[in-house]
Amino acid sequence: LNIKKKERKDDGGRRPAVGERKAQRTRVVISNTNALNVPDIELMTAEGVVDENNVGKVMALPVTTVDSLRAVGAFKNTQGWKFFRTPSTLIRKETVEMARKLDEAAKGEAIRQVLIGEKKSGKSVLLLQALAHAFMRDWVVINYREARELTMGFTDYAPIPNTDPTRYSQPALTATLLTSIVQANRDILSKLTTALTHNPPVTLPQGTSLLRLAELATNDPDIALPVFHALWSELTYKPPADAPPASQRPPVLLAVDALAHFMRPSAYLSADAQTIHAHDLDLIQHFSSCLSGASALPNGGAVIAAMNNSDVPSAKSLNFALARAEAIQKAKKAEGEAVDVPTWNPYEELDERVFGCFDPAVVEVVRLGGVSKEEARGVMDYWIKSGMCRKEMRSKMVNELWTLSGRGVIGELER
Amino acid sequence: MVFILGNPFLDTLLVKKALESFYGIGPVVSRNVMARFHIHPTMKVGSLKDQQLLELNAQLSTMNIDNDLRREMRDNIKKLRDIGCYRGKRHAMGLPVRGQNTKNQIKSAQRLNRIERRN
Repeated sequence: LNIKKKERKDDGGRRPAVGERKAQRTRVVISNTNALNVPDIELMTAEGVVDENNVGKVMALPVTTVDSLRAVGAFKNTQGWKFFRTPSTLIRKETVEMARKLDEAAKGEAIRQVLIGEKKSGKSVLLLQALAHAFMRDWVVINYREARELTMGFTDYAPIPNTDPTRYSQPALTATLLTSIVQANRDILSKLTTALTHNPPVTLPQGTSLLRLAELATNDPDIALPVFHALWSELTYKPPADAPPASQRPPVLLAVDALAHFMRPSAYLSADAQTIHAHDLDLIQHFSSCLSGASALPNGGAVIAAMNNSDVPSAKSLNFALARAEAIQKAKKAEGEAVDVPTWNPYEELDERVFGCFDPAVVEVVRLGGVSKEEARGVMDYWIKSGMCRKEMRSKMVNELWTLSGRGVIGELER
Repeated sequence: MVFILGNPFLDTLLVKKALESFYGIGPVVSRNVMARFHIHPTMKVGSLKDQQLLELNAQLSTMNIDNDLRREMRDNIKKLRDIGCYRGKRHAMGLPVRGQNTKNQIKSAQRLNRIERRN
């Protein structure tokens, strides 16, 4: 028996640099020059998305929007972008509804939504479409890229002085978030100027552009959190009606994918080695207060969160709160019909902070199902034109595949 | 190179590993100490802030670890020997202390059980 550790031979190759392997692993490819060009594809526009006639069409995202979406991390490498020439998405019934609601929300009354649905039903892509629509309408878009990274406890954190109960800052992640805000909203932020005075360390004269304000902290994580809060207070500042255009404020879209990570204890530890609840992390607290309606969006806007069903942490209170809100909303719509509203098992502890975020009157729960047959036909037509699918499309085939994919679950259809 | 409790550590070493290199600090103690100063589990020694390093050193110097702990253990064994009890004798003879058989397999006892125990 030879259990001696074998000496590793140096193969002479270069060892990967710090972060190189992760960059490789998380690289998102969103175009493919080998895929066929689809000549008659329409470009997505803000007006096109709200048009009911476009349901079932696949539309290409405009280049500037693609850059912004990339900056906020809306594309995922698990999605099939790499098989097609240009990033394009199917306009579904839900997309049109979402876009219309966003347009309504721009007028002043903010909307708050949680997207739920089974695996591969297109929650993340619907969220991406909402982000794209917001970009095309010149909103300010803040997307919390990877929800998991905020709670997995792999980046530095520190208690914020004079907070009770103690809240925690995450300087590096806040700086990353600000960087993505700057990259994605560069145009709109450079047109707006500060209207409030801020406390140190945010020392900028009034009338500086919001872009300059956000850029203060992109390379300086130590002041990232005060800068983020200053930026948020500027964005939610309600200007008087006769204010100059630079003091006017566009609606804000706040979004996150994989919400479950925000609604449970995080992996961070407090000074006495107790788990820190995700809501005690300041960035997440900020999001959850906006989602629950505790923080208002006076200039209109939306808070949209998507659930994920793969690699999902257990968050029982969240699942219960969503199921309950969905049932209550269903009951409200179907007046007279009896709807079962789930009740909590009294022998288990309910996470009140999570439960409190989902008031059925404030947060709308949107369930995504499969696509309709017309939509399935539209997207399969696009696949054939892109050279991904070499069969001739017949209505029998569409019907068969639609049924096989569990009544049009888009991700299953794609397989 | 960063000095913790007077010992040099490479910048690229995990703080957790550095702490657990001290006698008397295992996974639980290192977790508690790191939590106390808000050091996350994947933090490298090189990225510790000066303040954190000072506090960490101050905390470690109050703890009964490394040579202090070794000395305490040696004193305990020596006490057993001095009062002439069975456990003390077994230590002195380098034999198992807690009633194990000695026909086979007493390597650990032979290595560890002695009056001037090293580790």
